[in-house]
Amino acid sequence: MSREAENTLLLLVGIATAMITIGGAFTRYVKPSMLPWLGLTAAVVIGLALVAMAVDIRRGVAHGDHGDHGDHENPGPHGDHTHRGSVAWLLLLPVVVLIFIAPPALRPQAFPPSVTAVSTDVLRREFPPIPDGRAPEVAVPEVMVRAAQDTAGTLDNRLITVVGFTLREPDGVDLGRVAIVCCAADARLARIHLRGPAAAEAAALPDETWVRVEGTVITGSADGDSTSIPTLEVAKVTPIDEPANTYA
Amino acid sequence: MVSTLSSPHRPGAARHHPARCHNGVVPEVKRAELSQKLSMPVLVAAMVAFALLGSTMRAAVDDSDALSTAGTIFAGVFVQALPFLAVGVLLSALIAVFVTPDRLARWLPKRPAAAVLVAAAGGAALPGCECGSVPVARRLFGEGALGAAALTFMLAAPAINPVVVVSTVVAFPGQPQMVFARVGASLVTAIVMGLAWSRWGRAEWITRRLPRSTSGQGPRWLTFTEAARHDFIQAGSYLVIGAAAAAALHVVVPDWLIAHLAGQLLLGVLVMALLAVVLALCSEADAFVAASLTMVPLVPRLVFLVVGPAIDVKLFAMQSGMFGRAFAIRFAPATFVVATVSATVIGLLVLGGGG
Repeated sequence: MSREAENTLLLLVGIATAMITIGGAFTRYVKPSMLPWLGLTAAVVIGLALVAMAVDIRRGVAHGDHGDHGDHENPGPHGDHTHRGSVAWLLLLPVVVLIFIAPPALRPQAFPPSVTAVSTDVLRREFPPIPDGRAPEVAVPEVMVRAAQDTAGTLDNRLITVVGFTLREPDGVDLGRVAIVCCAADARLARIHLRGPAAAEAAALPDETWVRVEGTVITGSADGDSTSIPTLEVAKVTPIDEPANTYA
Repeated sequence: MVSTLSSPHRPGAARHHPARCHNGVVPEVKRAELSQKLSMPVLVAAMVAFALLGSTMRAAVDDSDALSTAGTIFAGVFVQALPFLAVGVLLSALIAVFVTPDRLARWLPKRPAAAVLVAAAGGAALPGCECGSVPVARRLFGEGALGAAALTFMLAAPAINPVVVVSTVVAFPGQPQMVFARVGASLVTAIVMGLAWSRWGRAEWITRRLPRSTSGQGPRWLTFTEAARHDFIQAGSYLVIGAAAAAALHVVVPDWLIAHLAGQLLLGVLVMALLAVVLALCSEADAFVAASLTMVPLVPRLVFLVVGPAIDVKLFAMQSGMFGRAFAIRFAPATFVVATVSATVIGLLVLGGGG
């Protein structure tokens, strides 16, 4: 690959990074908190590409075509050179994936139909209280962790609001949310069971409908063994639009 | 690969200048020149073709659960690694400008063993993950005089830096022994591999050369940008291979494998070590993943945390890109074995067998 093409590809990688950062698609792949770092990365990569292009243009004017000798980077054996020269083509793959395909956020189908458990074998501890108010919003994984590990009972007898998508299971409806720690590669499906009178409303909705649910975690529903999933006594179910960041 | 050459490292030994090439080499050179000349039009044509096919490709990916999961995980690994890679290449470019091999040699202790220990401790100073430490280590490696220290640094930095230590503390609340065991086993791995390299390592395995420093023939900023550009393209290309491999394996490796590990120490250690290699998680995130695998005993989870930052599919790809394939096919399996064994032994000592 010529230096000119390498620089163009480098520029495209920077542009692709900028596009997913500005367009917001990056939240399908990594945490929203990566925003400033991705912005800086895009600036660095685009900057490196532009500087290299500018240098080559000036050099090209000064020395004829000598700026084009990409092989000065690799004084190794010739066979290695051609091999090495072509490896930069691989950078075309993320450019195509990020700009033209833009794969969707992970859906529940991406996960095997197994139980996703929350650790209860780590030391159970007192959690800080959830926010005040009539029905503060608590994330699905947070509900799971608190139900399993909290010794302070911060969820007991508290009306909370939880946002997620419906998952229709043989024995009732669950509220699911894909949780990521760092990037999509570590995603896990968090879920809580929905029960009580209003749960029928959620069960009547099509699978994977985004809903806002108000309810109370049934005390003790996720105590004990480490594979338990908490159960929410549902008071109200409201269908909503898919949020911009689908991950918790 | 390059075994036919008696002295593969003579700088400039194989610089084919078209005018000086006669006999059989000419067609090959011509082909290379041609492919260089054609690369720009081909790139433009490819971009146009992909732009036209965009909606078709998107529909195909959306229709297939496996394809869209693989695509998202590929993008996840790549995008997550990019900022760390950018920091890594900027740092490695600074090294290219300011840290000459003799300067580095003056800073480090003369005895290789002492230099390895200093490098291991120095790993705590690079608050990034493993993608950044490969290009940095390649620069420090230089022509190989301080190779052992550079490799020790490469293995230690992603495992024991402050960000990783803090995330491990947060992921395993109330279990400080997990943090100590992780730092200890990672340090042991890094030091053992550094010493092993100084004892058995061979310079001819390093088939990938760095661009010769242009210092002296240009301003410092040009040395800096050229080094950063080279390292980004080189490491980034191999990151693509690693991210693609991780995405494919994610879709293929069944989760039930993990679900059947309860109470099986040896099997658990082996499966978790292999899982660390194929999942290729960022070392700043792997503690949370390990914490969530509650059905697995603690010792195999420690193995997961020690092996992952030392060697995984994306690191193997990046190492073969920055150092050469001959290096990576020897160094990577050795690192895998050393990391697995040291994590298991330290895990059994610190955490106990029950987990």
